[in-house]
Amino acid sequence: MKLLALPAHRRHEALVGYLFIAPYLVLFVVFVLVPVVWGFFISLHNWHVLGEQKPFVGFANYRALLRDDLFGIALLNTGYFALLTVIPGNVVSLLLALGLNARIRGENVYKAIFYLPVILSVAVVAIIWRWMYSTEFGLLNYYLKVLWQFLHLPGDFQPIPWLNSPQSAMPSLALMSIWWGAGGSMLIYLAGLRGIPEEYYEAARIDGASTWGRFRHITLPLLKPSLLFCLVMSLIGSSQVFGQSYILTGGGPHYSTLTVVLYMYQTGFSLYRMGYACAVAYVMFVIVLGFTLLQFRLLSARGEE
Amino acid sequence: MRWRKPHPRPLSCEERGAPSRTPPSFAGKGERASGFVLPPAPKMLLLMLCLACLLLTGCFSGKHSGNAVIAEIRFWNGFTGPDGATMEKIVKQFERETGIRVKMQIIPWGTYYDKLVLGLAYGGAPDVFICHANRIAEFARYGVFRPLDDLIDADKGFPVDDFLPNIWQAGKYEGQQVGLPLDCHPQGLYYNLKLFREAGIVDAQGNPKPPETWEEFLDAASRLTKDKDGDGRPDQWGFAFTWLRTNWITFISQHGGSILSPDLKRAALAEPPAVKATQQMCDIIYRYRVAPKPEGFDSWMGFRQGRVAMAIEGIYMLSSVEEQKGLEYAGAPVPSFGPKRAVWGGSHMLCMPKNLPPERAQLVWRFMRYLSEHSLDWAEGGQVPVRRSLLNQPRFRQMRVQYAFAKQLPYVVFEPASHKSTEIMPFYDAAIEAALLGIKTPQDALNEAARRIQQVLDRP
Repeated sequence: MKLLALPAHRRHEALVGYLFIAPYLVLFVVFVLVPVVWGFFISLHNWHVLGEQKPFVGFANYRALLRDDLFGIALLNTGYFALLTVIPGNVVSLLLALGLNARIRGENVYKAIFYLPVILSVAVVAIIWRWMYSTEFGLLNYYLKVLWQFLHLPGDFQPIPWLNSPQSAMPSLALMSIWWGAGGSMLIYLAGLRGIPEEYYEAARIDGASTWGRFRHITLPLLKPSLLFCLVMSLIGSSQVFGQSYILTGGGPHYSTLTVVLYMYQTGFSLYRMGYACAVAYVMFVIVLGFTLLQFRLLSARGEE
Repeated sequence: MRWRKPHPRPLSCEERGAPSRTPPSFAGKGERASGFVLPPAPKMLLLMLCLACLLLTGCFSGKHSGNAVIAEIRFWNGFTGPDGATMEKIVKQFERETGIRVKMQIIPWGTYYDKLVLGLAYGGAPDVFICHANRIAEFARYGVFRPLDDLIDADKGFPVDDFLPNIWQAGKYEGQQVGLPLDCHPQGLYYNLKLFREAGIVDAQGNPKPPETWEEFLDAASRLTKDKDGDGRPDQWGFAFTWLRTNWITFISQHGGSILSPDLKRAALAEPPAVKATQQMCDIIYRYRVAPKPEGFDSWMGFRQGRVAMAIEGIYMLSSVEEQKGLEYAGAPVPSFGPKRAVWGGSHMLCMPKNLPPERAQLVWRFMRYLSEHSLDWAEGGQVPVRRSLLNQPRFRQMRVQYAFAKQLPYVVFEPASHKSTEIMPFYDAAIEAALLGIKTPQDALNEAARRIQQVLDRP
């Protein structure tokens, strides 16, 4: 063993090191590594929780997944959710960060206000927004109605069925998720912005660059690491969206908010078909792994520059 | 999950035997407090003496000797509403009368089956639990229930004939009785007496008259739909669809349709009777305009607040209308929308897990039988008993709404008794929603559901 080949004092040092990471390592093995491997094992079986026999079926669950149009719908919905949250969400975060970077008064108060939603759990956020989105009694429709009358728009205001129509349900969930998560990326952008030396802007201003020019040619390129990090992290986060649709819509109306993780949950925990649910989980795992590798590549490519 | 623990611990038979004595404690708090420590041997002796006393008083003092050995019956259900309090009363009465202790755990229905299934699969399941009739097949397929046939046969006084046959049948799986029906909760028509009187829908004596046929229903509903403020949109509706799934099952069953074919192997919901029924439901909303679009409208709240004159809901909603102040309501059988008599219903079945030791199974059976015999008490909480002898009692006739709904018991329909019943549910749910919201035509929506359901049925 390598450890034994080390000189005595180094060996001691290494042992102490291992001891320090041991608690985490134990938890990691018990709650992450074993379930990951075990999950793959389950996915190769027809594994009903109550079944006494859990027959081995090879890759049949994966093959069935290819023909399962609900899984296809779930994948598309998840992609749609990612599209609705990743870019708009990051634009919002960046705008907030730019605003805060102007060194306004009460900056910390604003920072706290924008960051506050991030510390809420998804259940709390969802319950608050369920009331806001209520078609009949919701705050959003109320204000829209007030605005409508204030502007003297023609006709009567028709309440928007935020969560109750297949067209608006997913955008509604996305809007809520942006509100919930914008503060997190905002802090990262703000840190990135603070890291850009003031001299660059000064030089550009002397050379007569416009505000847009300074943003386009100084801020954006120098913010690239933060941008990449936030984009990839939110992409991974949004591909795992679950709580929002689980609590607010249950996947409806008409499958419009059925996401991959929700589908996996329903298969596993209301139908107790663990084998199939694990197969869904593994396909999802491969997709998220792809995004993560992409992130590593992009971030390490930056390091080589 | 909620432990319904606030109920004061019922007296065990030991304690009733010697009420004045404080129960001896093993920890011996008193000894420690006084600073006096007994030497080991006498301590053991004292302990054994105490134990002996306990056993003796247990055996000879209570009327029902022999139960002292069995600790308690563990009973799980999901009765989180007022029904939970009713059940608790019956359980306590059982404890008082028999001296058998029951530990009832109430778990909200939302997580109830998760906990139950895990308990059944990996241990920790209770001795007796509630299972809905429509999930019997799903679980029975995996042999998790202890069949009750031998217990029923051995219990000579137990009147199987007293149960309504269609509901008794729902507790069977492949010829074995795995569930004892505790109740039935059929749908019925709730209607608002005040609005009926206002609209002049009354009989010769001037009493509000609930509709019985499709024509009467439509007539009543259109007379009850009113645009009071004249903005072109009704603000009082004749009818509203509350729980779409169960309303739909009532409609299609009345037209002779069903979700699955009788052999449970084929999806039948895209066939003409079901499509016709679904179209009728859409017509109520879009053609006759006597019910609101089921979107962003809390229909049941609308009924409670008097903005909806009629709704078809389960008997379990009774407590919800009872607590609504100023609401004058009554219950009636669901009108005939189609040629057949049918109404959706559910039923709570009492079940035992497999592998119960025989003597314990006997004891649990005694408890199940007791609950069944006292299902009239249970009916107070908004349920309908399923035993003929109870249905005819004057006391039940006085439960107005329950009695009205109970008239439909002979033709109650459940969800299909397939072990895939739970799995196919989301598909027809989505189809009904799509049809009633006008996203798809009834035929298209049901075709799509039928295709998906068939895939599920064909999978081994």
